Amino acid sequence: MDPSEVEFLAEKEMVKIIPNFSLDKIYLIGGDLGPFNPGLSVGVPLWLALNLKQRQKCRIVPPEWMDVEKLEEIRELERREDTFTPVPSPYYMELTKLLLNHASDNIPKADEIRTLVKDIWDTRIAKLRLSADSFINQQEAHAKLDNLTLMEINTTRTFLLDSLNCMYKLRSNLMPGASKGKSSMDF
Amino acid sequence: MSDVLSDAGSDSSGRQDEDVMTPAELIAKLEEAWLNEKFSPELLENKSELVECVMEQLTHMEANLQRTRKGDMKASVHRMEIDRIRFVLSSYLRSRLQKIEKFFPHVLEKEKSRAQGDPSFLSPEEFAFAKEYFANTETYLKAVALKHMPPNLQSVDMQKAVPEPCLDSFVFLRVKERQDNIMVEPETDDQREYVVDLEEGSQHLMRYKTIAPLVSSGAVQLI
Repeated sequence: MDPSEVEFLAEKEMVKIIPNFSLDKIYLIGGDLGPFNPGLSVGVPLWLALNLKQRQKCRIVPPEWMDVEKLEEIRELERREDTFTPVPSPYYMELTKLLLNHASDNIPKADEIRTLVKDIWDTRIAKLRLSADSFINQQEAHAKLDNLTLMEINTTRTFLLDSLNCMYKLRSNLMPGASKGKSSMDF
Repeated sequence: MSDVLSDAGSDSSGRQDEDVMTPAELIAKLEEAWLNEKFSPELLENKSELVECVMEQLTHMEANLQRTRKGDMKASVHRMEIDRIRFVLSSYLRSRLQKIEKFFPHVLEKEKSRAQGDPSFLSPEEFAFAKEYFANTETYLKAVALKHMPPNLQSVDMQKAVPEPCLDSFVFLRVKERQDNIMVEPETDDQREYVVDLEEGSQHLMRYKTIAPLVSSGAVQLI
């Protein structure tokens, strides 16, 4: 899956905006939005929030978890634990990137937040690499990855799945009569 | 103007008596089908009613937009949403076509050998596409290579020539409905098989074969 497709899924997350225009309710296929009144916050999907922000029609309210102290706590917890800790949002990386790129003026201490989120991401990716390594070494057949987000899974997806499939084919060809040689090898 | 555009929301829920799904649920189901099709190694069941309903919603909304020239703000929002839904739909259909092209003899075989009452794997258009692709590939192979072979080697068995989908591939999944006692087969000879319980909301990495029926029933979602 392309990272931009993961971002596409992340754009469905709801964020709060404060519009500077007024508009009555919009009946989208995916749900109802609004009504929009200047100065009153309203929840909209991220794709709409970013578009309105670019047209200078609103101010974006950062999500609750996008706060320096909270992120510092999460970073410390992540560094202490060996396993993956729960994340503030299943799309924390995409939300951070999109909001900091398009609406950094609406987010206090944007640079610190960027660094904190990057630290959290780096720690988690390092853990993912270690656990993928041990998964392959011990030739496990099943793994539970509860607190992993889609973007993190996506970084190793092609490599990990292709290598596991390759190894499986090599192994099944060793076992007598197991495979009838019908499966394909994608190079 | 607002009435015309609000039509799309209230109107369609009355029309869908077979599905009894709100448009929002319809779009959510389309996205689930899209992800499942993207990540599954084999061609999944055809969801033609879902595709048709979504197409209906899109054409209805577009017709409404055509009628409203002014109302820039609302029209642009609706248009953005239509583009997003259209992206998911095209990606879903493209995914299916890619798999049909990759596994065409097996897909056709599966379709021919299914019982009368079973749901079909291919929509009528996809079936026509698959048959044409098969015929074209055969003609191509004959013209390019086979007719130059000695007479007793001039045929090719497509079922053997084209690899089958590898159902033992690993996939990532998220559990929507709790499942108990799912068998996990061992990788090596010295391991024994064991069972796992799949709790709701958890994510796993395992072989596709064991959880294939759960994907079709909607109990797990491939991610």
